Amino acid sequence: MSDLTLEAVDRSGAIAEAFDQLTGGTRGDFFRKALIGGAALTAVLEAPALAAPHNTAKDVAILRFDLNLEYLQAAMYSEAERLGEIRPRTLEWSRVVGANERGHVKAIRALLGRDATKSPSFNFRGVTEDDRVFTETAVAFEDLTAALLKTQATQVDSRRLLAALASLHSVEARHAAWIRHIAGIVPSADAFDEPTSKAKVVRLVESTNFVTSAPRTKRRREPRYTG
Amino acid sequence: MQPTRRSGLGAALAVAGLLIAAAVAVVLAAPSSRPSTAEPALPPSPSSALEPENVPLDPRPAALWAPVVARSAARSRPGGPAVVAHVPARTPEGTTNIVLVLGQSERRAGRLWVRVRVPGSPDDVRGWMPRAALGGYNPVHTRLVVSRTRLTATLLRDGRPVFRARVGIGTPATPTPRGDFYVRNQLHKYRSPFYGPLAFGTSARSATASDWPAGGFVGIHGTNRPDLIPGQVSAGCIRMVNRDIVRLDRLMRVGTPVSVR
Repeated sequence: MSDLTLEAVDRSGAIAEAFDQLTGGTRGDFFRKALIGGAALTAVLEAPALAAPHNTAKDVAILRFDLNLEYLQAAMYSEAERLGEIRPRTLEWSRVVGANERGHVKAIRALLGRDATKSPSFNFRGVTEDDRVFTETAVAFEDLTAALLKTQATQVDSRRLLAALASLHSVEARHAAWIRHIAGIVPSADAFDEPTSKAKVVRLVESTNFVTSAPRTKRRREPRYTG
Repeated sequence: MQPTRRSGLGAALAVAGLLIAAAVAVVLAAPSSRPSTAEPALPPSPSSALEPENVPLDPRPAALWAPVVARSAARSRPGGPAVVAHVPARTPEGTTNIVLVLGQSERRAGRLWVRVRVPGSPDDVRGWMPRAALGGYNPVHTRLVVSRTRLTATLLRDGRPVFRARVGIGTPATPTPRGDFYVRNQLHKYRSPFYGPLAFGTSARSATASDWPAGGFVGIHGTNRPDLIPGQVSAGCIRMVNRDIVRLDRLMRVGTPVSVR
């Protein structure tokens, strides 16, 4: 699609600066496990929202990976909308696209049924509170998602899933064009888009440190409250 | 002679026209005679496995909370020198400390600061912490309202009551502090029957129990003396019968704001 990646958009070091002061917390394993596929996933399984049609193991792995990406995007845009700290034009994009991404989460979860994984915890490290960094990150994610869906379309077993990926792809491409326009980048600079690999997606998601462990707020311990 | 020649020519043209029209009709009506070059029939388009629809954002949350990932200080202004509270990364109970995020941020000298609510005395205090000291933001949709006069605790979700219970509160000598606080942690599976089956820790601190172990923080918990509830019976904590605290646990999450009136 393009060479506009998180590394590229972060040339000024704005995202890296926000990350530098933070300690640990990277949970790239989550996406790495999703990359490996169903057998390696240890996330807790949930009851199906709808009766899930039969999916092949390969299709389940593809859908789970997409679900994780959709979780990430939906969480980021929802947080930006809640905080309302970005510029009105970007906020409007976030409102509209956030509703789309939450819809994607719901639909993919229904499709996976019992095979759906829970959402990981996220820490967006100030990206949702800074218009420029938010816009650049959103450009990278939307370009990336559209490019990934192209790759997956050639890999799925089910024709129904192929149709589903195609319907997701065109919407993600629209998101990418819209946010590129907001960022002042030509929405369709090249005549053809290139697909991307899962490994590249994993690397980029890891580089953001957005996926974190859940805070430990419960404990087996004798209380010492005032009683 | 001239008119006769013209009418003969007209008749010939009319006959020719009819013959051409008939030939065209025959060709159009005939079945295709080129089976070898015909386009293959396309299979029906598959229906999409997804049924996506837009999902609106949840109603405005009662609060946003964030874990403290690095010990820090809350300051009166972003990057300012005045410290309003020191904020450790752990609670006295050993759980991850949390703060309420108030939804304001400012960048100073390249560093992002966010406005937060942290435990104070006698009430929570507000200040600015570096964004880098905090983890991810978590919305919570519940709010617990404790009435010291009615001796009740009411849990609201998105503004609507979903739970109500009679409670025991502090005695007149050791009152439950009035003000706005939040739930910081949850302890469970301990041995003491005094606190019932589980206990929530709050950011509220008793003004009369500052020498209490672990700082005199107020809890919301069960009891082994249900006969004392409702009443002014505790050293500051909010007690409820075990059935109610178990029910509350299913509804209330860490980060829930607590108003004591």
